[in-house]
Amino acid sequence: MKKLKYILFTFYFLLFTFTLIAQQQRFPKPEFESGYEQPDTVTPEPRALALEYFDVLVLILVLSLATWFALKTRSRQGVLWLSVFTLIYFGFYRNGCICSIGAIQNVTLSFADPTYAISLTALLFFILPLAFTLFFGRTFCAGACPLGAIQDLVIIKPISLPKWLNKTLGLIPYLYISLAVLFAATGTDFIICRYDPFVGIFRMDAKFLMVVLGVSFLLMGMFVARPYCRFFCPYSVLLSWMSRFSKWHLTITPAACIQCKLCTNSCPFDAIDFPTNEKEVVKSGLGTKRFLAYAVLIPIWVAAGVFVGERSHTFLSKANPDVFLAELLISNPEIKNDPDNLDVQTFLASGKTMETLVQEAEVIRGKFYVGSMIAGGFMGLVIGMTLLNTVVFRKRQDYVPHKGNCLSCARCMDYCPVEK
Amino acid sequence: MKNKGIIIFLLIMAAVIIAVIVGDYVSDRPNRSKPNPFAYDVKEFKTVDPELIHYKESKNFRIGFEKPVAIAIHDDKIYVAGDNNLKCIDLSGALLHDFTLPGKPQTVEVFNQNIYIAINNQILVYDNGGNLLNEWEPMGENSLITAIAATENDVFVADAGKRKVVRYSSDGEFLTEFDGKAEEGVLHGFIIPSPCFDLDINDVNELWVVNPGLHALENYTFDGNLRAHWKNTGMRPEGFSGCCNPSHFTFLDDGRFVTSEKGLVRIKTYKRSGEFEGVVAAPTKFTDEGRAPDVAADSQNNIYALDFDKKLIRVFEPKNNTRLQPGD
Repeated sequence: MKKLKYILFTFYFLLFTFTLIAQQQRFPKPEFESGYEQPDTVTPEPRALALEYFDVLVLILVLSLATWFALKTRSRQGVLWLSVFTLIYFGFYRNGCICSIGAIQNVTLSFADPTYAISLTALLFFILPLAFTLFFGRTFCAGACPLGAIQDLVIIKPISLPKWLNKTLGLIPYLYISLAVLFAATGTDFIICRYDPFVGIFRMDAKFLMVVLGVSFLLMGMFVARPYCRFFCPYSVLLSWMSRFSKWHLTITPAACIQCKLCTNSCPFDAIDFPTNEKEVVKSGLGTKRFLAYAVLIPIWVAAGVFVGERSHTFLSKANPDVFLAELLISNPEIKNDPDNLDVQTFLASGKTMETLVQEAEVIRGKFYVGSMIAGGFMGLVIGMTLLNTVVFRKRQDYVPHKGNCLSCARCMDYCPVEK
Repeated sequence: MKNKGIIIFLLIMAAVIIAVIVGDYVSDRPNRSKPNPFAYDVKEFKTVDPELIHYKESKNFRIGFEKPVAIAIHDDKIYVAGDNNLKCIDLSGALLHDFTLPGKPQTVEVFNQNIYIAINNQILVYDNGGNLLNEWEPMGENSLITAIAATENDVFVADAGKRKVVRYSSDGEFLTEFDGKAEEGVLHGFIIPSPCFDLDINDVNELWVVNPGLHALENYTFDGNLRAHWKNTGMRPEGFSGCCNPSHFTFLDDGRFVTSEKGLVRIKTYKRSGEFEGVVAAPTKFTDEGRAPDVAADSQNNIYALDFDKKLIRVFEPKNNTRLQPGD
């Protein structure tokens, strides 16, 4: 009886879905008969609401499976094939949209602009991976992210980066998320989507420059494993924070570590922490004094960040089209006569006055003034904390994955000879 | 440095990534804006092959309305609604009557000496002397009356707001309504993206309704069952383009269709079967991006277009006799 209920539910769900698809095609498509080529649109076609919920269901399933493969069955094969499915479904079939990474901007805008209503799907795509990560580590990165999947498949000869370089490049995602939030909150741009290196490949209609960007990341990814995930992805900042608190994170060994060191070179992401040698730590002079000095420096870093943010807000605000247009029209009033300048002609056709445009630009610049200082302060805090972390001594006796950086790909498990 | 080659390669890739991001950002500023990639040049469709134009403009009347709204012809008298008035003029343009109305008219229909006018989504019935004969129940809050067609016993009202056709008796009693949904799934109900929703009754008492979103004309029984339809989408003279065309239509006395379109403003005729016949007025005759003229026809198959932009009634008469041939 219960089974019958499920079958009936599935049947009606699909029926409902296909009805919506049919309804979307009611309007006749415009016919162009003069050899006109329609430009490529920036975003995929709208999707029926039922199918959007279906995507959420697929995401939950993929997250659950990725978690199950990483934590329960400890199967690298399972994670690998799941990421292939993710690449096909969320990447090539769903054209990389909607994605959890870009959803950061939707969430930000929904807070900053009361007239913007975030869709439930976007909200769930943002929250669900974070919720899973909070409990199970970054299994989203392992098997549910199409951007991660496409990079994972091209890892050929991963090289280990020096620790200082890893730390330095690791600051880029913090900068990226700061700018992405600032630009989204001021209604300027969704830069995460704009500079998504793989979405053009998924849609197979990217501009030439974006193809170059995607291919460059993939070529780089042959040697520096998953460079976008590790050194660019703004969502990784949030995932990393969540993962540090995860209770049931992946472990390299299913039982006690036998210190065989077979796993030491298994991680292409440099995310395995080695056992600490207390004697070396003492010898290196990493002591309380340095810790205190770095801790005292944190407010200074924050203040410096706020200062830099305040100084750079004028420059950053020029990314906003209204601000840029207002400045352009003030400095080059003759551009009004350029019939080919689409932005200027659109503004003139809108009937908006120059005074209104300038007032709007000033409001946006005011938002940048506050937002840039917050972003700068945040970056200062991140730099300060990163430095502080370098002198914090954490006692480790075994080889363990770094909870923040581990992508739960399960490669290391294959190297571990320990059985349950 | 066994990985020297790889490191050089990685540095080059990193440089490329930075260059692409900076290059894309800089190239997409308003001062470097490229011409509109979405621009669609419809100039070529504004010029129509003279062979296809079967009508010529013979005269026009200035009607003295600030906001003309609708035109109807009955017994070779022209009824024009606009501002707060209804004017009746003869075919030469001489004013016969001028009635003041209690509000702004939406559309007008004349049948058997009864003048049906929609004001505030309510139908008022007048006689030829301007006397109010009947005042029907107002339609609902979300209604928007865009057209009326009357026969001996029935009056059909196009409600663009509710996307329905409402059938009344000639006394104003509500009989039925329908939304154009056909069981066979050929059509999907009236698709009305803008308030352009016309209907009319032809010489053999057939009710025809425009389905503007589908670029279709649909024939319904008086009970609202779909009986026939034809449609034609396209920018070329034989098709209808844009979101919602034809915006207006009427019948010639032999059952041929006269259609009027917005966007690419033009008036055309179609045979009773829906086959394209010819052009009455090419887009070059009208204001660029102007409104679709309302159309009506007299007993001589002259076509009267109410040009909302020029505030004129423009008369188009056939160049030759284009009356329906047997078998058409």
